[in-house]
Amino acid sequence: MSAGARPRLGEVDAALAGRTALPRDNGELIFEEPWQGRALGMGVVVLERTGASWEEFRRHLVTAIRQRPPEPGESAASAYYAAWLDAVEALLTERGLLP
Amino acid sequence: MSTEHGHDHHPRPDSELALRARALEALLAEKGLVATDAIDAVVELYERDVGPQNGARVVAHAWTDPAYRERLLADGAKAIAELGFVGAQGDNLVAVANTPSVHNVVVCTLCSCYPWPVLGLPPTWYKSPPYRARVVAEPRAVLGEFGLELPDEVEIRVWDSSAEVRYLVVPMRPAGTDGLTEEALRALVTRDCMIGTAVPQTGSR
Repeated sequence: MSAGARPRLGEVDAALAGRTALPRDNGELIFEEPWQGRALGMGVVVLERTGASWEEFRRHLVTAIRQRPPEPGESAASAYYAAWLDAVEALLTERGLLP
Repeated sequence: MSTEHGHDHHPRPDSELALRARALEALLAEKGLVATDAIDAVVELYERDVGPQNGARVVAHAWTDPAYRERLLADGAKAIAELGFVGAQGDNLVAVANTPSVHNVVVCTLCSCYPWPVLGLPPTWYKSPPYRARVVAEPRAVLGEFGLELPDEVEIRVWDSSAEVRYLVVPMRPAGTDGLTEEALRALVTRDCMIGTAVPQTGSR
């Protein structure tokens, strides 16, 4: 995917299918708190701006999800989007864009 | 039922993660990597992205491209993916076509399973216990209440969705639409047509 091309949601679903899939309730994206939507948006825009692929992001997301299981009582969406923040940071760090 | 229906958990009470997200956003803005309004645009776009307009594209394309129609009826999930619509892993989408002698209608008797990649969110009545129970027992009467009177010789097939298999009704292309473009045809394909509680209307009958 080239830099600047905003993927349709269906393309994001396809790229993240499986254990990195976006949390949904009967099709509707789950954002329990606004920051979760911000995390999703940051990831998408960072990929646009850096030209990084969804495969590259997914790799970081898999690692982040493994390293950050939900805390006791934490919702799946909260843990998932926390992992998105980790993955965005990891991708930018690997590319030398964040310290 | 799949876990996507669970609502037992809650976000952490403190806003530690919200603060972290805000800090990261500020950092990205400072580096010129991300503008706040770009994030807003993504969130808005994705919240609106799924809707019956996706299904209408699928149906109108099937109406105008016989080869696509065949692929759609043979493997619904694969055919909708051709147009960029992809469900969660494990979702199997089956497209069922109406004919002059068969009318299809979709229900989820257990809960509210629905082909969301193509239809968006289910209407309230789709989730209501009366619809779920009655459309199976007396489909002709229920469709009549939706204003859809089918001739007695038309067989009504009721498809019960599950977490694994979801159904999309491909309605018949209305007569007198030969001159319409694919884009114009999309406007005729409403959500209810693809659930099977309506048929496409052309306005001039």
